[in-house]
Amino acid sequence: MADKKQIYLQPKPVRIWHWLNALGIVTLCVSGAQIRFPEYISLLGDYRAVIKLHNTAGFVVAISFSIWFFYYTLVARNMGKIYLPSRDDLENGLLRQAKFYFLTYFLGWDNPHHPTPEDKFNPLQKSAYLAIMFVLVPLVSLTGILLTNVAPLRSLIVMIGGLKILVGLHFLLACSLCAFLFTHVYLATLGSSPLAHFKPMWTGWEEVEEHDEAAASH
Amino acid sequence: MTRKLTKKYLWLPLLLCLSFPLGVLAMENEDCLGCHNDRDSVGEELFIDAQIFDHTVHAALGCVACHESVTEEHPDDGLSPSKAVCLDCHSEVNDEYAGSVHAENASCGDCHNPHQVRGLADVSGHDLNQQCAACHDGAEMVQQHAVWLTQADLHLAMLPCISCHTASEENQIVLYIIQKESDAVFGDFVLSEHADLQQLAGEKAPQRLIDLNGDSFISLTELRTFHRKPANQNLRLQATLMPKEVTHRVDIRDNRYDCSFCHAAGPESMQTSVLALPTAAGSYQRFEVERGAVLDALYGTPDFYMMGTTRSASLNILGLLIIIGGTLMPLGHGALRFLTRKNRSQKGE
Ligand code: HEC
Ligand code: HEC
Ligand code: HEC
Ligand code: HEC
Ligand code: HEC
Ligand code: HEC
Repeated sequence: MADKKQIYLQPKPVRIWHWLNALGIVTLCVSGAQIRFPEYISLLGDYRAVIKLHNTAGFVVAISFSIWFFYYTLVARNMGKIYLPSRDDLENGLLRQAKFYFLTYFLGWDNPHHPTPEDKFNPLQKSAYLAIMFVLVPLVSLTGILLTNVAPLRSLIVMIGGLKILVGLHFLLACSLCAFLFTHVYLATLGSSPLAHFKPMWTGWEEVEEHDEAAASH
Repeated sequence: MTRKLTKKYLWLPLLLCLSFPLGVLAMENEDCLGCHNDRDSVGEELFIDAQIFDHTVHAALGCVACHESVTEEHPDDGLSPSKAVCLDCHSEVNDEYAGSVHAENASCGDCHNPHQVRGLADVSGHDLNQQCAACHDGAEMVQQHAVWLTQADLHLAMLPCISCHTASEENQIVLYIIQKESDAVFGDFVLSEHADLQQLAGEKAPQRLIDLNGDSFISLTELRTFHRKPANQNLRLQATLMPKEVTHRVDIRDNRYDCSFCHAAGPESMQTSVLALPTAAGSYQRFEVERGAVLDALYGTPDFYMMGTTRSASLNILGLLIIIGGTLMPLGHGALRFLTRKNRSQKGE
């Protein structure tokens, strides 16, 4: 048996952001569904309440997005390293990681990627988070901001193509985020034990196996 | 109410027409307007706009029907002609009016000019709100409604006050043509007037801008063509919700306080819409529009979207597919993971 070692993987601002964001996005998905389908869904009270909740949750997600963004760009200054896939990631990493998830994982092999504070994400994660944090979330927030200020921003909305296009975009982006949630939560259970990946997002510390030279020497 | 009233009171103009020889009646109106349609001879206060008056239903009554005491010598007799009381002819309005807050606060004349009366179908939502704005200040109203109404500015800009402050059970969607105030990319929209549309339509009637085949029925295809046509770049359709019937009760209705009165799919009234085009006389003419689909189709009315009401079915399906896609990976992978669990447990997991 290899020795276990603790590394500090998730700094506090990132954890705060993550759980605010998680709570916000789940709330947004459920309240959003009720707003679109009021006659089928009435989980969260009447329409007025659910609109208020949706707007508040949207605000919270926008704020937490800023925490995340400013933490990585101004405080930690490692946004690029963590989120941008490297050349090697693109050429070999993606394939290697996909092979693990869809083949060698089932054979019981080890995860080829070993997270460190500077290299938290495997190549697949990097690409997925890049798309989500730099395209999906900003776009869904932006369309949301427009939709909560229709009267003052009407001219802008018309320029974009109209309210319907805007709403359609907001809806499809939201569906994509919701779809991502399922995959995200599931993949998080693929650690050494089903809860292994959840712990560091709560306490900050991840348990890694000492025999792992690559990780230890980083 | 409208229907009944029309039937009940049809005899009135008829009776009046029978009691005066037609020619004299027409003469009378023209006589009066000879002076009263001329700002220079009577001044702004006594000016009656013949362009508008002639197209009102009151025109058929004739001036004298309401100003009975006017004499041959007028205006030299120095007498002030009598002025009819609205309720003499419109007693049906009284039941509602007398029971409303306005009985004590607003007279018929505060909301109606007897020489410019229009039916509900003949006015735009904007005109309707002008009547109210004389006493209920717009900005103040936004503030008062914002206490409970999200985006009150949007609601009050897009809805006639009487859509919520009414006793009418049914509503109808009414589409208007609006246009950019200027050619600036980023500009405000205003209601198009008859002259604007006539200029665009050229030789043809303005309705042909949308009603391509001239059958006075607006189909989805026609709406789409209208919105896609580059020449119409500065035109848009704007929609509002109007009560089907006029009532003079403005009391606050509890069901309007409940957003899902409007924001829910299904109410029949949300499926029917009409297009209202400005006429040369300054009123509006309505055209029937294809049912339902108009509101759902992306390019039917790109700027009309009511949350919970006019969602697009095809987008719903696409959205559902995306979400199902998100669950496929966990389900498929999870199943394989379960089947191959032995491989990993051997490693002491
Ligand atoms: C020769 C021009 C002329 C004609 C024709 C004329 N009016 Fe007048 N009317 C006037 C003038 C001027 C006054 C203002 C008189 C005054 O202030 O004493 C007036 C005043 C009035 C008023 C009263 C306004 C008020 O202050 O209360 C009424 C009502 C009216 N006219 C109705 C009519 C009707 C109805 C006819 C047609 C049967 C008619 N007028 C034809 C010139 C005319
Ligand atoms: C349906 C009834 C009705 C008809 C028809 C009618 N009037 Fe009047 N008119 C009134 C009433 C009521 C008033 C008083 C309005 C007020 O005090 O606000 C009035 C007021 C006036 C005044 C005073 C100025 C004003 O606008 O208040 C003039 C002038 C006048 N009418 C002229 C005419 C002429 C000319 C015609 C025909 C072209 C005519 N009216 C047709 C009901 C009528
Ligand atoms: C001499 C009778 C008479 C008087 C007085 C009268 N009206 Fe009318 N009014 C009519 C008739 C007739 C109609 C047409 C009925 C209908 O179509 O329902 C009508 C229609 C209307 C309409 C609907 C217009 C439309 O196009 O549907 C309004 C609004 C109206 N009157 C307001 C008033 C007001 C306000 C007054 C008082 C200033 C008034 N009327 C005085 C006879 C009168
Ligand atoms: C607070 C404003 C207000 C007051 C006060 C008011 N009305 Fe109206 N009335 C309206 C509106 C809004 C409509 C619908 C739009 C239109 O026809 O102009 C209307 C419509 C009408 C109609 C046309 C009904 C129909 O079915 O087409 C008549 C007739 C009428 N009013 C008569 C009166 C009479 C008579 C009085 C006075 C007793 C009166 N109104 C007072 C706002 C008012
Ligand atoms: C001549 C002025 C005047 C006009 C025009 C007018 N109102 Fe009013 N309205 C009043 C006054 C005064 C009150 C009572 C104010 C108060 O109690 O705060 C009132 C009260 C109301 C209320 C409150 C009713 C309640 O039960 O408390 C509503 C709703 C309303 N008006 C709607 C309208 C609409 C809609 C229009 C236009 C079709 C309109 N008003 C036009 C003067 C007017
Ligand atoms: C979306 C529906 C809706 C529209 C549109 C709307 N109202 Fe109201 N309005 C209400 C409701 C609901 C209330 C009662 C709010 C409450 O209980 O606090 C109300 C309250 C009022 C009051 C009473 C305010 C008070 O605090 O006593 C007035 C006056 C009023 N509205 C006038 C107007 C006018 C004028 C317009 C058009 C500019 C308008 N409303 C448009 C739904 C509406």
